[in-house]
Amino acid sequence: MSGIGAALLNSLDIGLLLFIIAVGLNIVFGVLNIINFAHGALYMLGAYLAFTLINIAGMPFGAALILAPIGVAILAVIIDRVLLRFIYSRDVADSLLLTFAILLIINESVRMIWGSGIHVVQPPDLLSGSVSLLGSSVATYSLFVIVIGLLLLAGLWYLFNRTRVGRIMRAAALDRDMAEALCINTRMVVTGVFAFGAWLAAVGGVMAAPMRALDPGMGDKIIIESFIVVVIGGLGSFPGALLGAIILGLIHGFGGRYLPEVNLLLPFVGMALVLLFKPNGIMGKGANA
Amino acid sequence: MKKMSIRNLLVAMTATATLGTAGTSYAEDPIRIGGLYILSGSAATYGEFAQRGINLAVDEINDSGGILGRQVEMIYEDTQGKASVAIQAARKLVYSESADALVGLDSSGVAQGMVPTMPELQKPLIITHAATPDVTGKLCNAFTYRISVNVAQNMKAAAMVAAETDATKTDATNWTTIGPDYAFGHQSWEFFGNYLKEINPDVNLMSETNFPRFGAEDFTPFIDRVMDSDAEGVLISVWGGDLVNFIRQANNRGFFEEDLEVMFTVGAATEVLTALGEEMPEGVHLSTRYWYEAYDNDTNDRFVKAYLDAYGNPPSYNAEGAYAAIYAYKQAMEAAGTTDGPAVAKALSGMSMEAPNGTVTFRAGDNQAMVSPNWGVSGPMHPEHGIRTLTNLQIFDGEEVARTIEATGCKL
Repeated sequence: MSGIGAALLNSLDIGLLLFIIAVGLNIVFGVLNIINFAHGALYMLGAYLAFTLINIAGMPFGAALILAPIGVAILAVIIDRVLLRFIYSRDVADSLLLTFAILLIINESVRMIWGSGIHVVQPPDLLSGSVSLLGSSVATYSLFVIVIGLLLLAGLWYLFNRTRVGRIMRAAALDRDMAEALCINTRMVVTGVFAFGAWLAAVGGVMAAPMRALDPGMGDKIIIESFIVVVIGGLGSFPGALLGAIILGLIHGFGGRYLPEVNLLLPFVGMALVLLFKPNGIMGKGANA
Repeated sequence: MKKMSIRNLLVAMTATATLGTAGTSYAEDPIRIGGLYILSGSAATYGEFAQRGINLAVDEINDSGGILGRQVEMIYEDTQGKASVAIQAARKLVYSESADALVGLDSSGVAQGMVPTMPELQKPLIITHAATPDVTGKLCNAFTYRISVNVAQNMKAAAMVAAETDATKTDATNWTTIGPDYAFGHQSWEFFGNYLKEINPDVNLMSETNFPRFGAEDFTPFIDRVMDSDAEGVLISVWGGDLVNFIRQANNRGFFEEDLEVMFTVGAATEVLTALGEEMPEGVHLSTRYWYEAYDNDTNDRFVKAYLDAYGNPPSYNAEGAYAAIYAYKQAMEAAGTTDGPAVAKALSGMSMEAPNGTVTFRAGDNQAMVSPNWGVSGPMHPEHGIRTLTNLQIFDGEEVARTIEATGCKL
């Protein structure tokens, strides 16, 4: 049935975009033990930087996809060195407060720099329009999001399981003192991981820019979704972020179509069910980096 | 000893001097108007537009001698789109900032929470944007006025457009809706359905309705659902950034190529048209509470020109409502001869004034301004303003589309 194919593809594109964003949140928590409230704001910054590079500087989309996340990652290094390094040894609640402050600062800065109006970014010509797939027409750009999401998924899996850098990150996540004793420069690891998380958020932002309207509240919207993903999948779990994101994508894609009366409720019902039966999320903590 | 007394003298002199300034400044104290708008987050653009309209009005009024010979000063508070925040902000404006009057409110939810506290504050409030019929209906009170079009007025006009029998005749009988899942979306559909049934009892209001979350980002499932249904007409009350997302996603799905009558209840908002440019399709019904090219009068000419000169874009409905509200206070305060809250509120009742959208009267029975909803069909791009134009523009009569006072449920 054409409806189901369309809903499935739609769920995948929502889900994989959420995965890109939520996995960054999860990696940062897993390694640094920080719940980064400002993650959504970094996603928004990625989108706004892409807007500036594409609509104002006239660069192609591909260049923005590479440059904007690097810009956000550099900012993240500064945030880490200037602010976050003072709270790594403290309680998680302190990191919530500090990152919430960072979120407010970024939100207001975005409003001051780009204004409060609504902006849009056009998808590149090659990816605009739609193609016929699974018996229904699908926006080409949605397929692009799915492909990039899958590529990032494969890349992350490879990074964590097959490379030295990935092993160091996992080691630092498991026991930072031990890692330090083994001559791993954990300070570098910490900064690097935070910047990497921000890079992922910004990649999500650039990917979202051609299909979502840009406004100064877009980061707040996505952070709530990301938290739901993390609660469903499991805080700090890499496969959990994937599973949570796909589940939430399916809830949105099919829920809006077949159960519209309760679409508002469904993500929270999903979250409540998971909390009841698997309080640490489906994939729990410590499953995998 | 001598030193001390000189110092005492100096203190006394300073004190007298301060008193003196305090005394003189009292007579020239500016009139303070508190503005309650969304100034942060997704909908911050609405607060900013309101501020632009207000700034123009305040500058014009101050340049020509102020109100009752006193300058006007604005103090703004961010409601964050939350009723509890707005109520606190209003108390702060009135009790600690000594605001003489209030303007504002962007959201129906905020208005429903805020309006019942107005009698306690004893200051007038002119709502410039929030559209729920309740605040000039069952929740009405002697201090609350609204200068902008409400949902009931706009949906009566919408039903008339939908049922029209002339050249733009729509032959849709099966109607459904896509609207945000809160008061505004639900009330829009409820009023539209009731009015449409009254005009044409043969229409079928489908039970399959669509209310995505406000801020849903991805509307594709709801767009697909309407395209797969038997709907021939669809009323869409999605607005702001959500509407920009909706239209782009609907374009991707080929929604506008379907044989559907599409009516956007807040579609001709200039901020949405500016963001979308050519992506707003041609040939769909768009409404707004004020269309800048709809009115041919001096006030409108002056307002549109001043707005374009100052900000480079055509004014949105929200800027117009806020602009007019400041002039409403000028007229009411000068009629009352005072800035006293209850007296100004009383002066507003039944008052008529010249606004950019023509002669506006606050109806005495419910304090709702008799203003005209504007409906049109999206046409070619405007050569200078970079937005779609409205063709087949209809300016509905404010009285004709208003509910009777009995029907509003307001008892003043």
